[in-house]
Amino acid sequence: MSPALRRYIIVRVLLTIPMVLILVSLVFIVLRVLPGDPAVAILREGASEEQLASFRAALGLDKPLHVQYVEFLTGVLRFDFGYSMTRKVPVTREIKTFFPATVELALASMFVTAVVGIFSGAFAAQHRKSPADYAIRILSIILYSLPIFWLGLMLQMTFGTGLGWLPVSNRLSPGMAPKEVITGLYTIDAILTGDWALFKDAASHLVLPALTLGLVLAGIFTRLTRANMLDVLEQDFITAGRARGLRERVLVYKHGLRNAFIPIVTLLGLQFALLLAGAILTETTFSWPGMGRLVVDRIYDRDFTTVQGAILFFALLVAGISLVVDILYGFLDPRIRY
Amino acid sequence: MAETHSSPTSEVENIGLLGRFWRGRIWYGTEWYITTFGGLILLAIILMTVFAPWLAPFDPNQFIGAQFTPPGHGKQALLARAGEAPPVDLSDLSGQVIGVQRNRNGANLARELGAKGKRYQTQEDLLAALLDGEVDLIFVDQELAPEIVASYDGLEIVAEGLGRSYPLGTDNLGRDIVSRLIWGARTVLGVALTSALFSSIIGITLGLISGFVSGFLDRVLSLMMDSIYSFPGLLLAIAMVVMLGPGLLNVAVAVSVIYIPTFFRVVRGQVLSVKEELYVEAARSLGAKPLTILTRYIFPNVIPSVVVVFSLNVADAILTEAGLSFVGLGLPPDVPDWGYDLSKGQSFLVAGQWWLITFPGIMITLVAAGFSLLGEGLSEILNPRLVKG
Repeated sequence: MSPALRRYIIVRVLLTIPMVLILVSLVFIVLRVLPGDPAVAILREGASEEQLASFRAALGLDKPLHVQYVEFLTGVLRFDFGYSMTRKVPVTREIKTFFPATVELALASMFVTAVVGIFSGAFAAQHRKSPADYAIRILSIILYSLPIFWLGLMLQMTFGTGLGWLPVSNRLSPGMAPKEVITGLYTIDAILTGDWALFKDAASHLVLPALTLGLVLAGIFTRLTRANMLDVLEQDFITAGRARGLRERVLVYKHGLRNAFIPIVTLLGLQFALLLAGAILTETTFSWPGMGRLVVDRIYDRDFTTVQGAILFFALLVAGISLVVDILYGFLDPRIRY
Repeated sequence: MAETHSSPTSEVENIGLLGRFWRGRIWYGTEWYITTFGGLILLAIILMTVFAPWLAPFDPNQFIGAQFTPPGHGKQALLARAGEAPPVDLSDLSGQVIGVQRNRNGANLARELGAKGKRYQTQEDLLAALLDGEVDLIFVDQELAPEIVASYDGLEIVAEGLGRSYPLGTDNLGRDIVSRLIWGARTVLGVALTSALFSSIIGITLGLISGFVSGFLDRVLSLMMDSIYSFPGLLLAIAMVVMLGPGLLNVAVAVSVIYIPTFFRVVRGQVLSVKEELYVEAARSLGAKPLTILTRYIFPNVIPSVVVVFSLNVADAILTEAGLSFVGLGLPPDVPDWGYDLSKGQSFLVAGQWWLITFPGIMITLVAAGFSLLGEGLSEILNPRLVKG
């Protein structure tokens, strides 16, 4: 590792500290400082004064804001999000139960996004300004203009209730359960334990949600791939290759795509926030028991601590992912240095 | 044609604003068509929101028809026993006793026409009542009438095409979907435009200051904005709406917060490059005050990018608002809203009532795509060097 790269990584890790601080403060501001009393928001209008007071006391909401802030921060640092108000278990355990489902959905969607996005983007770039290019571009705009949940419902209607090919909710059929939870990703666990019936069931449940989220994000990804491919295809080594008589297909898909790959993969990392936001809606549509579903369900259950903990977890996750992506980028591209 | 040849400039002026706009297709090529197409979609939607009271056939919250009337259905046929149809004045059915099926459009129609509706639970009961002579006339859905007449002996159709049809059907409460779509456009556009206005004002101001002042303030602001940007926007909006409570303004505020960084980043970047330009330095050396430089020299250069971002942002805000409504955190139920209709309609999908969710979804996509197309096209036209084509 070169000194410059080491320096870059150290600075980037240090920069994560203020980022986490800002994100956690943002969550604190939204949940505690903004007008709107969590006690009223959770217990709704009509709760008696005693109920409100005991709710505030239980969560420390009756203390001065700066004390709350310090308690809030120390809680996050110790990875202690308190106890769920409805399930009486630590919020971290709830997150541990629900998070793998989100990871599985996110990975599968990313796969769909990458495959669809890279090929349509590269194809559009290769046939720049042709009708196919414009068709792909307009189609990609329409794709990311689709409300994710609506696309999900339409797919459910067609392939689920209509044709009856695929299940439309949950991760497994009733009665199915993994013999052993290793990663929490049921498809992976099934492969690891060699349980093919489980794999088939888990995979069939995963298809529609992953397709829904993946296709919408593919709209954006097509655009990014196309722009990056155009950059690469303009470069001298492509012209040189063409002069040597390499076939256009080899030029675009082998030499071009390989060189466009680094920025594309990084950009996929930058779309992570979009992926998570989309996952919330996809999970709601498909009753997929992931983090988004956890947040939405617990809002209805008025489980303030779980909602707060899940949102904080998202904040830490986002900071962590952006750190990993930036470090990867630093390895891949020597021009990126502080 | 001779008189128009006086000078080349006069010819350009003579073609007028629309003519010049039409000529744009030559300079900008396909981007021009994309922009225009997006613009036309939006124009149609905006006209729809403006003229909603005149365009919408019904009040969006009125329980006007029967529940779950399929698209195009709603018209009724009047049946009687064959050969003994009593003379009926179709223009005045008041005073008649007409058999109707409960919760079907015929029941509403009988009431509206002043006739006395005798209600039956099922279609079999209704037909039995007619055949047994309990009633002399019955209303059935027009689409079903030929089949019923064919399968039961001794029935005939007295009149057809009574009442009204619902082009896109009715929802689970018997509200007209067309009217809800038209009024919903007001809500959706209102929230999205308000929120985009909020976020653009705050984002542009902060971006201008941050880029111009630079130094510590710039670093802190940039880090803050990057953090907000990296956070899943919908989740932030969800948290804010939970705390602020539902309502048009609260939703607009919640949605606006998540798009401030987008404006900030674009404006800041532009300011950083523009402030190094020679003419800015010239103005500074002539003694222009910082505020003058910022507002007169730098700000105008930011406008084209802001226009593009604004358009794309509205598209995104529409989707976020719909997402909020979909998870049940949007607007109060008495406000017609596409996202709300979608979230309510999804539970009827299994039963085959597809029209409840199909049309609001198409509308959301159409408007979001309209703003995206407009933004995409504008970005190519306004900043040809900024975005690679």
